[in-house]
Amino acid sequence: MRQRRWALGASTLVVAMSAGLGAVPAATTATAAAQQGTTLRVAVTQEVDSLNPFLSITRTGTDILRAAFEELTTASAADLSPEPGLAEKWEPSPDKLTWTYTVRRGAKWSDGQPITAADVAFTFNLMLSNETARTANGNYVAQWESVTAPDETTVVVKTRAPQTTMVALDIPIVPEHVWSKVDVGAEPAYPMVGSGPFVITDFKESQYTRLSANKQYWRGAPKIDNLDFIHYKNADAAVQALRNGEVDLVNGLTPTQFDALAGDPDIERNNAKGKRFNELVMNPGAATATGQPIGDGHPALKDPRLRRAIAQAIDSKTIVDKVSGGYATVGGGYIPPLFSTYHWEPTGDQARPFDPAAANSALDAAGYARGGDGVRVDPASGRPLKFRLMLHSGKAFDEQSAPFIQGWLRDIGIAVDVRSVADNKLNEDTTAGRFDLAYSGWTGNPDPDAVLALQTCASRPNADGKGATPDSFFCDADYDRLYAQQGSEFDTAKRAEIVKRMQQILHAQAPLTILSYDNALEAYRKDRFAPFTLSPDPGGFIMNQQSYWGYYSATPASASASGGSSSSTVVWVVIGAVVVIAAVAALVLARRRRATADERE
Amino acid sequence: MTAPEPVERTPGPAWARRRAAARRAWGEFTRHRAGVLGLGVLVLVIALAALAPLITDADGVDVTRATGGRLEPPGGRYWLGTDESGRSVLLLVLWGARISLLVGLSATLLSIAIGTVVGILTGHFGGWGSALLMRLTDFFLVLPSLVLAIALSTVIGPGVGTIVLAIGVTSWPSAARLVRAQTLGVEARPYIERSRALGGGHLHVIGKHVLPGVLPLVLVNTTLAVGTAIVAESTLAFLGLGDPVAISWGSMLRSASNSGAVTAGAWWYLVPPGLAIAVVVLAFTLCGRAMESVLNPRLRER
Repeated sequence: MRQRRWALGASTLVVAMSAGLGAVPAATTATAAAQQGTTLRVAVTQEVDSLNPFLSITRTGTDILRAAFEELTTASAADLSPEPGLAEKWEPSPDKLTWTYTVRRGAKWSDGQPITAADVAFTFNLMLSNETARTANGNYVAQWESVTAPDETTVVVKTRAPQTTMVALDIPIVPEHVWSKVDVGAEPAYPMVGSGPFVITDFKESQYTRLSANKQYWRGAPKIDNLDFIHYKNADAAVQALRNGEVDLVNGLTPTQFDALAGDPDIERNNAKGKRFNELVMNPGAATATGQPIGDGHPALKDPRLRRAIAQAIDSKTIVDKVSGGYATVGGGYIPPLFSTYHWEPTGDQARPFDPAAANSALDAAGYARGGDGVRVDPASGRPLKFRLMLHSGKAFDEQSAPFIQGWLRDIGIAVDVRSVADNKLNEDTTAGRFDLAYSGWTGNPDPDAVLALQTCASRPNADGKGATPDSFFCDADYDRLYAQQGSEFDTAKRAEIVKRMQQILHAQAPLTILSYDNALEAYRKDRFAPFTLSPDPGGFIMNQQSYWGYYSATPASASASGGSSSSTVVWVVIGAVVVIAAVAALVLARRRRATADERE
Repeated sequence: MTAPEPVERTPGPAWARRRAAARRAWGEFTRHRAGVLGLGVLVLVIALAALAPLITDADGVDVTRATGGRLEPPGGRYWLGTDESGRSVLLLVLWGARISLLVGLSATLLSIAIGTVVGILTGHFGGWGSALLMRLTDFFLVLPSLVLAIALSTVIGPGVGTIVLAIGVTSWPSAARLVRAQTLGVEARPYIERSRALGGGHLHVIGKHVLPGVLPLVLVNTTLAVGTAIVAESTLAFLGLGDPVAISWGSMLRSASNSGAVTAGAWWYLVPPGLAIAVVVLAFTLCGRAMESVLNPRLRER
């Protein structure tokens, strides 16, 4: 009984795993039958949280929404600088407190209605008046005073303080004639009336999101007819689907998978310099926004000397080589090197190369004497330096690098208890300050404001551990002063100088250490699609761009080669099935003949 | 010298009888070639796992000291190739045996201990308390064990202890049912009644008569259960519910699948842990079957 139940469990597991391979292609086949024309099929492994433009915060959800909703300005393909979207031009007042946007004439929603300044004002005013509407992009409107639309093409935004993000407002503009009649917090109805190159026509949670070309799109309709995002539970399943020609574009590949695809003549790979960083945060004494201590972090980590020693004992180069297979950049400053204007690299005196001996002597000098078991003891609290390290369960980078960090810290007399935790639980625990060391990581934007804001005192939560997005619970008066300065500094060179000084403070205080900057590893079927527009260009991504250029540029390679390999797979499966059935039939027949022979005797 | 003469220094006739029975059982066991083979494999695997720190260098499984390349195929230096961090797969399989066997054995002991206690108590005492306990057993019996184990490890947090607890807590009901049936069978025999008539209390009946009567069955059941517990451990570790840095066969399969070894065609990373699980489970099953036929003459081959 017991055996059977565990066998049942194991076979359920197998079925669940193969569902990644089996169930989803079934959906694809349905798509192919239901839709006409060329389809770009994209495999995604992250689930879509919501397709409500006011709520969605996941990478995949926002990526799909960017293809369906045009924003006031968009990030240029070449260097991510602001360029006209719905707004043809924009003008700040001399005091930078009033911004006037001129909305493009002639642009139409996907249902044929004209896009006017009233739609823009409606969207912004909804965010100002409704808390739910501020869920995803509230940071942009926090300092706004009023939004008005004096005529059909003019939108005027008044802000309380100068704001540099006014030319890069990452806010989907929604049609007033649809959204004024529905509940803002509800899931939208499909097809969704939009303004981008594609229209979202169907969505099944954990299965697929289906988009079709927006013929009304003001830049001109895309060259493909449909765009499907198919959810795969497992990256290996997605890669196999790419090899079999069941999908056309995949991202988030592991280094091993990326290398394995090198020899395939039908597949083109794209190794993009990443805009994401992986960090290890060290609880520097978590506290609420009002300064009340919360959580149960180890008291010794309040000492910056200890945090610096930990940072110095971690070898980013080895992590890049061994864990990321070389497809990453060695960690340095807080802003990823892709955003070269604001990126800062520690040099000279500030550089902190991997050196366990130096870390050891720094800890000796700071009074952390080793106990009998080789683990150092905090002289202030008398507690041994035994830290919990929380990692995202199932995330390959975390799971592979944790044994390295545990080994390196053991060498400097720090014991690490690695805990694998589900994403939501990890967020909950870190937000409430219940951690010593934890993995984290953020995706940078061309404008560094949002990422810098994570390390300010104001981003610490309230007493319930809610109400803000803390990262490391860092709180430093100098850092906060510089943060306010950079937010209203419109001279890019001067602003970059301030941002670099902020990164120096983070580096010196070490509430976090950057482990690496991931490359984005992508691959697509070059027998079916011509090269995509990369952003930034060169060296950029196809998927998860700051805009929609990758999907918008999709061009079928030629009419001939489509689904050849998948039909041959079907042939092989049929042949295999026939062989198996024939063998079983032969066996049954042979047995029956023997049985009757026995009976005859 | 007033100390009393040591009375039971020379083994009495009971011991001689027991030794003879053991010898007979061993003789019967050795007649099962498959059982002997299984036992041999088990002894070898357990010896290798226990001696791993002596015969190999622990640095070889420390990622920060690994010297190999990423997913090197089998060759002269690494007989079974390397994993994604450059560690020898052979060494990992050897060290993985420690956790897999440890978890398998301790989870089985836990589940059999709970099962035996519940089984004997419900079989011996009867009454409403026992009925209640049996309904509880039935409740656990119909719960899907994998789902319950996953739920448990989510609540307690992943780790080796959690896996032991999860397997132990989910797999005891069948042992309880089995032991209860055997207890009822033993207690129906006349000598129990006689023992009661002579004034034997509950403790005496359970300790002297019922327990020895059910122990052989418990032993066989334990041997057979270890195999399934090892499979269960691998399943849970594969699902990421184990200690994230401990090396076990299940966690090796998990790392292989997470790092994309399937796509890379790195069979040497997937096959050895899978094969190791299969071989050890088979060995336990062979041993258990042979022991079963030793203890139950009806199963003996003619």
